[in-house]
Amino acid sequence: MSSYRLIRYLSRLLIYLLVILAVILSLAPLVYLLITSFKEPNLTFNLPPVWIFKPTLQNYREVLAGGQFEKYFVNSLVVALSTTAIALFLGGLAAYGFSRFRFRGAFWLRMSALIPQMLPPITIIVPLYVLFNGLKLLDTRWALVISYLTFTIPLALWMMIGFFDDVPIELEEAAMIDGCTRLGALVRVSLPLVAPGLAATAILAFLYCWNEFLYAVILTGREARTLPVTITSFMTNKAILWGRIAASGSMVLVPVLVFALLAQRYLVRGLSRGAVK
Amino acid sequence: MISISHTLRKLTRQIEPAFYIAPSFVVMAVILIYPLGYSLWLSFHRWTLRTFKQGIPFIGFENYQQLFSNPEFWNSLRITFTFVFLAITIEFVLGMGLALLLNHDLKAKGLIRSFILLPMMCTNVVIGLTWRLLFNYEFGIINYYLTQLGFGPVEWLSSPKIALWSVILVDVWNTTSFVALMLLAGLQSLPEEPFEAARIDGANSVQTFFYLTLPLLRQTILVALLWRLIDTFRIFDVVYLLTAGGPARSTETVSIYIYRYGFQAFNLGFASAASYMMIVIMLLIAGILARAIGRSETV
Repeated sequence: MSSYRLIRYLSRLLIYLLVILAVILSLAPLVYLLITSFKEPNLTFNLPPVWIFKPTLQNYREVLAGGQFEKYFVNSLVVALSTTAIALFLGGLAAYGFSRFRFRGAFWLRMSALIPQMLPPITIIVPLYVLFNGLKLLDTRWALVISYLTFTIPLALWMMIGFFDDVPIELEEAAMIDGCTRLGALVRVSLPLVAPGLAATAILAFLYCWNEFLYAVILTGREARTLPVTITSFMTNKAILWGRIAASGSMVLVPVLVFALLAQRYLVRGLSRGAVK
Repeated sequence: MISISHTLRKLTRQIEPAFYIAPSFVVMAVILIYPLGYSLWLSFHRWTLRTFKQGIPFIGFENYQQLFSNPEFWNSLRITFTFVFLAITIEFVLGMGLALLLNHDLKAKGLIRSFILLPMMCTNVVIGLTWRLLFNYEFGIINYYLTQLGFGPVEWLSSPKIALWSVILVDVWNTTSFVALMLLAGLQSLPEEPFEAARIDGANSVQTFFYLTLPLLRQTILVALLWRLIDTFRIFDVVYLLTAGGPARSTETVSIYIYRYGFQAFNLGFASAASYMMIVIMLLIAGILARAIGRSETV
């Protein structure tokens, strides 16, 4: 009996060790980036690596000097928020339709909603450039919002179907018997119930936009540039300014960190809802 | 009268789903119809930076012929498929392991999940650059500590034999958690009865895993696979910032290849032809997977 308990104890220990290893491997590169951001630039490539040093804000000061970074931060924020709002509205509505109505071809229609997401950005970026050039939208936030809708609408649609499926249809039917229209039932009954799902979807859509690089680097210039593009601007022809890259990179990752801590439970559920019925 | 209002009601009921579903599709179609049409048109025309001022002549399938006879295109396809296959295989093996680990009743479960989730939520640009810093041949800390341990410096990004593996390593770091968390959610939604039955029948854990867990997870696995395929097949920014396709085109995926022709050589007709081939391949793969998902959904 005691040997059985010993095996149980050891296997539990092993599980924890492996989980801790996974956590360390996940965090290590990010921690290194953060540490580098507080190092003086000439210490970045010191060998052996310097782990104990006087932290400095020099890199952050250099990144923020000139006010450009703030401007591009606002761009990133506005683009990500507007895209998320539009995508959530349209995708959520469609998800509701898929969740509440059974009709022929629904499965393939749902799958075809993923096609825009499947198009590799590189394949449509040239004509998008030409299109926005013609519409005089190059280097505006609109160009990014419009492009980002192509992958955030499918994302919102796909995730929200599962969350709407979780709301019992009887609740809405009861509201409709009491005189609500279907739309009224959706807004008053179902919407509050899917709020966590809506939040998870919003966070993921926001992050997709926040992190996007290829569209942003091609479609924007000095005005509408977003943060990921700004980070790469510290790779100059002469040198790669690692200190500034680390500082700006760390700042860009702040919302990512906040969202990962706040919303992990719903994110996991939302991502898998399309799969697990 | 009754029959008219009856048909009318029936008609509204049939149209009602469209009211919810159509706006999304209309918006996506409006955004995409021009780009898709224009690049199809371009792919049959000659558009280069040198010649476009003299006109954009129709040249039939010439771009496609050039594409198919271009060994670098086949090289980029081979590299993309190698990358997709290896990265996804490793991610699913590790991800399944991680999911099984996390499926235990752990302390601080939420915090652990948050930490493990972080890499997949990070900005790709930051990921690419961070790893480029870590992989630095002379000054990177990975090589420093490897040398200390006696394994010598590794040419992570500068050797054509190793660079693709380095890119795969970064992708595995980046997205294993996505696979793990999707599989975990699948595991947690499995019914308990079959597992109890298996235990009573004396099945060991390996048998249970292969004959029960895996088949029951089929749907989750297929959907996770679909998402990963879509993302891996088009990978651009991480590769672009790590190696930009080099050394010696050893990490030049199709996306990087198209980027080179479109935005460095400005041969837009040719780049559009390559784009269309990429789209066709992607849709074929996704279609096959979607069919598999549809079939397992009805079972």
